Amino acid sequence: MDKYLDTRFERVEKALATFIDSIAKYNPSEKLAEDLVAADRELAAGLKELERHQNNHARILQLRQETASLDQQTKDIIGGLWNMRKEVKTTPATNYPAAGPKYKFTTHELLNYAKRISRTTLPPAHLIIDGSESEKQAVGVGGQPMELDSAAPTPMPGGATAAGTPAASAAPTPAASGPVTTTTALFSQPPLAPSANQTALPDDFKPHINLLTGYQFHPWPTEDKVRMGGMAAYQSLVSRAVDPRGYDPEEEERRKREEEEARKEAEERAIREREEEERKMREERERMARERERARREEAERSGSISGPAGGTGAPTVASGAGGGGRSQFTFLDGMDDDDDDDED
Amino acid sequence: MASDPMSVNSSARELPAPPGSGADEPKFGGYTRFELELEFVQALGNPLYLNHLASRKLLSNPAFVAYLDYLQYWSRPPYLKYLTYPGPTLKNLQLLQQEKFRQDIISPDLVERLRMEGMKAGIDWHKESFPSTA
Repeated sequence: MDKYLDTRFERVEKALATFIDSIAKYNPSEKLAEDLVAADRELAAGLKELERHQNNHARILQLRQETASLDQQTKDIIGGLWNMRKEVKTTPATNYPAAGPKYKFTTHELLNYAKRISRTTLPPAHLIIDGSESEKQAVGVGGQPMELDSAAPTPMPGGATAAGTPAASAAPTPAASGPVTTTTALFSQPPLAPSANQTALPDDFKPHINLLTGYQFHPWPTEDKVRMGGMAAYQSLVSRAVDPRGYDPEEEERRKREEEEARKEAEERAIREREEEERKMREERERMARERERARREEAERSGSISGPAGGTGAPTVASGAGGGGRSQFTFLDGMDDDDDDDED
Repeated sequence: MASDPMSVNSSARELPAPPGSGADEPKFGGYTRFELELEFVQALGNPLYLNHLASRKLLSNPAFVAYLDYLQYWSRPPYLKYLTYPGPTLKNLQLLQQEKFRQDIISPDLVERLRMEGMKAGIDWHKESFPSTA
């Protein structure tokens, strides 16, 4: 570009110099002046060219800068992607056990289970909220473990379990000594101690009205529960020399009850039969009595119509009466005999 | 409780049927094998009970050890959902598979530590999940 302009300048200078020379020699020529004008015009065009050139140059520079910034941006993005990839690769993902059977369960089942175990896995609220206090209590003084449970394991008769261990067997002592000292303190105080705030309970009372005092949360079945369970029932059967295999106390109970009922029913049936028999016998007796009455009446009527006037046949009447009575009595006996026969049948 | 002399054969090979399967299970003293084993495996969660078993020399009995191995079916469905004390039960069942633990549980110190830590954990796990209540 410089050369391009330089030639033009030179041309202008040369044209100017020749023109000046010509003027100095007092021989101006029109042609030289025109040359100079043309050279000057060309120089102007060259200068315009230079301006364009400069503009282009500036634009090139600007574009270069833009390219550089875009390159930088691309590099940043790629670097970011690379870092991201590295992070993704190093993130510990959950490892699902590939093998092994899978078990399906429903939310309902899960909630049911959670509800069922909430009593045995979650301590009561006061233990969670004042946890620090209860922990202090539980750990006891001097780091010595201390049993707070007032229902300390009482050795059961026959339960030859040494599971109590020294700690558990020594437990009742501190637990028992607590209430004793407080009660003595109570008696030594006047019952109506003048106090500013009558509604507030003294601190000594508070553990006594709190039902959860000394409550201990065990996340496992306690000894009492183990002693009341099925294993204990099994053990007691074994110690009674009963084979527990196939022995069901409920079944046994039911069997006994059924036997008892059967026995009662048999007794009732026997009573009913006896009553029935007595009733039959009574009816038979009444029937006999009625027949006897009728027979006697007929006899009397017959004897009355036959004998006619009284007195003459007094003896036969008496005889017949005696005979009738004998017969009727005999008949009655017959009846009795028949009845007995029926019974035997 | 189970103080009978045991033989290796006395350990059951078949798993007991869970309730509701409709099978007519034989009963032992009024309880099915499922009920008795469920009760026993949960009692194992109690460190004092473990100490009791150790003091009866049961934990060194090979048959009993085999039985403890057999009881591991409680850590799998469908039996798992019947445990009402899942944490200590499964932890102790796991520990009981180790010879060293079976020997050491005879020590009252260990029992006491297990007891205290178990009770503390029973309270603390809840606090960790809900720090606002702590």
